[in-house]
Amino acid sequence: MHDKRYALVIDSRKCINCKACVVACRAENQVPLGHSRDWIGEEHRGTWPRLLAAFEPEQCHHCANPSCVRVCPTGASFQRDDGIVMVNEQDCIGCRYCMVACPYNARFFREDKGVVEKCTLCKHRIDRGELPACVETCPSKVRACGDITDPDGKLQQLLATREYRVKKPQTGNSPQIYYLL
Amino acid sequence: MPDFSIPRRRFIQIAAAGTAAATQIGCGRKPSTVGHRFEIPTTCELCPNKCSVLAVVQDGLIRKLNPNPENPKSRGMLCARGNAGLLQVYDPQRLRQPMIRAGARGEGKWRMVSWDEAFDYTARKLSAIKEKYGPQGVLWSSTEAFAEVFFQNLGQAFGSPNSVRHPSLCLASVNLAYSVTFGTVPSFDLLNANYVIMAGANRFESFITPDTMDLIDSAMNRKTRLVYLDPRFTVTASKADRWYPIKPGSDLAFILAMLHVIIGEQRHDKDFVAAYCHGFDELAGHVKPYTPEWSEKETGIPAAEIVRIAREFSDAAPRALFYAGRRSSWYQNDFQMRRAQAILNAIVGNWDRQGGMVPNTKIALGELLILPWDDPQAPRVDEIEKHFPLAAKGDGAYLKLRENVLSGSPYPVKGWMIFKQDPMNALPDQAKTMRMLEQMEFVAAIDIQMSDTAWYADVLLPESTYLERTDPIEVLSGIWPVVVLRQRVIQPLYDTKPCLEIVQGLARRLGLSQYFDYTIEQWNEAAAKELPLEMPLDYLKKHGVFTPPGGPKYGTTLNPDHHFVTKSGKIELFSERLQEAGYDPLPVYQPQPEPPPGKFRLVVGRKAFYTHASSTNNPWLFDFAPENRLWISPRAAESAGIADADTVEVSSGTGQVHLRARLTQEIRPDCVFMLHGFGKRSHWLKRAYNRGGSDAAVLEAAWDKVSGNAAMHETLVRVRKV
Repeated sequence: MHDKRYALVIDSRKCINCKACVVACRAENQVPLGHSRDWIGEEHRGTWPRLLAAFEPEQCHHCANPSCVRVCPTGASFQRDDGIVMVNEQDCIGCRYCMVACPYNARFFREDKGVVEKCTLCKHRIDRGELPACVETCPSKVRACGDITDPDGKLQQLLATREYRVKKPQTGNSPQIYYLL
Repeated sequence: MPDFSIPRRRFIQIAAAGTAAATQIGCGRKPSTVGHRFEIPTTCELCPNKCSVLAVVQDGLIRKLNPNPENPKSRGMLCARGNAGLLQVYDPQRLRQPMIRAGARGEGKWRMVSWDEAFDYTARKLSAIKEKYGPQGVLWSSTEAFAEVFFQNLGQAFGSPNSVRHPSLCLASVNLAYSVTFGTVPSFDLLNANYVIMAGANRFESFITPDTMDLIDSAMNRKTRLVYLDPRFTVTASKADRWYPIKPGSDLAFILAMLHVIIGEQRHDKDFVAAYCHGFDELAGHVKPYTPEWSEKETGIPAAEIVRIAREFSDAAPRALFYAGRRSSWYQNDFQMRRAQAILNAIVGNWDRQGGMVPNTKIALGELLILPWDDPQAPRVDEIEKHFPLAAKGDGAYLKLRENVLSGSPYPVKGWMIFKQDPMNALPDQAKTMRMLEQMEFVAAIDIQMSDTAWYADVLLPESTYLERTDPIEVLSGIWPVVVLRQRVIQPLYDTKPCLEIVQGLARRLGLSQYFDYTIEQWNEAAAKELPLEMPLDYLKKHGVFTPPGGPKYGTTLNPDHHFVTKSGKIELFSERLQEAGYDPLPVYQPQPEPPPGKFRLVVGRKAFYTHASSTNNPWLFDFAPENRLWISPRAAESAGIADADTVEVSSGTGQVHLRARLTQEIRPDCVFMLHGFGKRSHWLKRAYNRGGSDAAVLEAAWDKVSGNAAMHETLVRVRKV
C-alpha cells in the first residue's frame, strides 16, 4: 500500500460558471454568506464582435509544500498525511499570517469565530468514501478528485492524455490543482 | 447589507423551533433519533427537469441535498438552485400560516388565520362568484408541478372551463410546430450528435438539464461542433465553435437559406424524404427564392458562412441537429420559425436516429379510480377555439385570456385561484396584469412564498415546501424515461399543507368532497401498481427513482408503415393541417423592423440560478446577482451619455423601469438586455424587493399568431440616464 495523496484535476473548458459548486460547498460546510471556500474565476476579453470568455474554478490548492502551514505560529495550519491542508480551529489565534502567505487567496477570516477558514476538500466526506461536495454536484463534471500517486488512478489517466498546468509554480508551493489545457 | 447573512446557527435555531412546533401538533412521524444521519431520496422542485436528490437528514434537520446518481435523467448532478432548495424550508421569509388580507390590496396588511377560517372564507367567496357569474366566473391558474393535477381537478369539478397554464408563456409555439410536422414533440439526442445548431436557446447558461450536460460533454470531449446564434455573447456563445450575433428576429431567414442550399445542392436524405415525408416538392419550390445572399441582408450572417453551415450540417447528418431548445416565443411568427427548424431536421433524416431527434418514450402508470364529475358547460373565456384553433386547448392562451377578462367579453371572470404561478412577472405588460387583478372580486394564491402576485391576493394558502410533502408519482418522459417519487423528508416546519390537503379542505366546503376522497398514499399506490416491480411503491420510497432497464431506444418509428399522427400519416414538410386552418402551409418569412434611432430592441433571458421569477429571493442565489442590470453596448451608451453603473430608465409603450446600466461588449449595439425575475414589488421578499427592474413592466404584449404563445422580443425601448 502506498500513501494516498489527494489532488484535483480541473477541466476548465467544461466550466459554465453555473455556481453549483459554490452553493454545494456553502451548504455542505455551512459557509456564511460573504465568504466562499470555492469560487469561479472569470475572464472576459475583446471588443464586439471578437470576444472571449473563460471560467476557472478556484479553491485551496492543497499544496505539497504549503506556505500557509510554514508561517503559522501555532501549528493550527497543518497538512494531513494524505496531503489535505487543514486549519485546527482550536489552535488558530486569528493572526491571518496564512492568509497573506497563500498565493491563491484561498483563505478567509471568520469574524464570528475569530479563526481562519478554507477548503478542506470535504475531508469528512472523503473519510466516508464520498467525493467532495463541489466535485460531486458539478453538472458538467469539471473536477476530478483522487489519489495523484496512484499510477492507474483517474487523475494520472487524465494527466497522461492532456497537457496541463499548475498556477504560480514559481512560489515553490507545489500546488496540487492541475488545470487541463 | 440586509439580512441575507443570517448566521447558520440562528437559522438552525429557527428551524429547530419549527420542528418542535410541528411535532407538538402531531404530524405523525416521530422526529429522527438525535445524531443519526440518514439519506432520504426525493425529487427536486426548483425547475422543470426534476432531478433526483438525496436529502441528508440529521437531528431532524435537512443538512444537505446531494445528487442521486440512480437517475440517468439528472446525470448525478445538482445545480446551484437544486443545492439552494434547502433554503425554501429554512428561509425565515417563507410563508408559514394561512392569511387573509386585512387592508387594501397590495397594502401588505394581513391577518393570520387558521386553515378552517381560510377555507371557509375562500369557499364562501368562490360560491358567491359561482352564484352571480356561474362557475366559469372563476379562473384557475397553475404551473407544472407534480401536484398540479389536484388543483386542476378542483377547478373542473367546480365547473370552470377556465384553466390556464404556463405553456402559452413558454414553449407552446415549439410544441405546436413539432406536433404539426411530426405528430409529436421529440427529444434531442445531444449526447450523440456531431453537429448542433442552436439559436438563442442559451443552454450553458440559462437552464441546467441533461441537454446542457450532454452537450458540454460532447462539445468539449467528443468535438461535437456547436454553431450558436444569439444577439448576445452568452456562456453558450463562448463555448461554441462559431457564434453569429444574428440580427434579432431573422432566424427564419437563416433557416430558409439553409433549406435553400441543402435542397439546391441535393444534400438532403433522399431515401428518408421519399419514405417518410410529405410535400417535399412544394418545399423545394418554396425555398428557391430564399438564397444565402438574400439571407445575408436579413441576418447579417455572410452568405458564404450560411452555405458552409448548410454543407457541414448535411454532411454530419443524421447526427446533426437544429436544436429546438426551451425558449419562449420571440416574435409573432415564432411558430413558423420553429416549423422551419422542424422541416430542416426532417429533410436531413435525423428522425429517430442516434444523435438526432428521437420521439419520447413513456412509461404507463396506473390510475386511481375516482368519481367522475360533469364537464364544464361554458366555453373558454379566451375563445382559444376561435383564435388559435390548432393550439393545445387545455393549457389556454394567457395573453388573449387577459384581454378577454379585462373586456368582460364573452363573459365576466371575477374570481382567480392561483397555484404557484406569478402572473405579475410571468406575463408581459405588468400594468395590464395589475388591472386584471384589480377587476377580480376575489383572488386566492397557493404558494410557498409571498410572490408579487400573492402580495396582491385576498387569501394566501401556504403550501408545504417540496421537502416537507409527498407528491404524486411522476413519469419524466424522454429518450430514456424514468419514474420519480417526491416524498416527505421532514415534517412541515410550520402550519402549511400539501396541495391535495388544500384542495380537499376547499372541496369539502364546496360540496365536492366525493371527488377527492383519497390520500396521497392511495394515489401513489395505484400509480405505482403498473410498474414492473415486486413492491413498486416501496422501491420508489427506497430509491426515489425507477429506471426501466434497456437504456435509450432508437428507431422504433423507422419503418415505412409507421403512421405519424398527421393528416397524411407522414412527416409533413408541407402541412395539410395548416393549409386547412388558413395558415401558411410552408414557413413564410416576415422581416422585423430595425429599431429607429434612439430606440433599442429589448431582449430578455434567464440565468440558471433563477427559476423564472421564483428564486431571486433565495439567500444563497440572491448572493450571485442582487440586482439585474441593463446590458448595453459601450458605443450605444456613450451616445446616450450613460456610464457603467448609472441608473437608467427603460421605457416602452407599456411602462418604465429603473435599473443600473452594465456597459458590455457582449451585446449587439442595437439591443439591450435584462435578466428576468427582478424588480420585486412584494415587500415580504425582503432581499429582492425593489432591486433591479422587472422586464414584465416594459415588455409589450404580443403573441404568436398560430399558437397564441407570448412573443417576448417584440418590444422596442428607449433608454435614458436618470
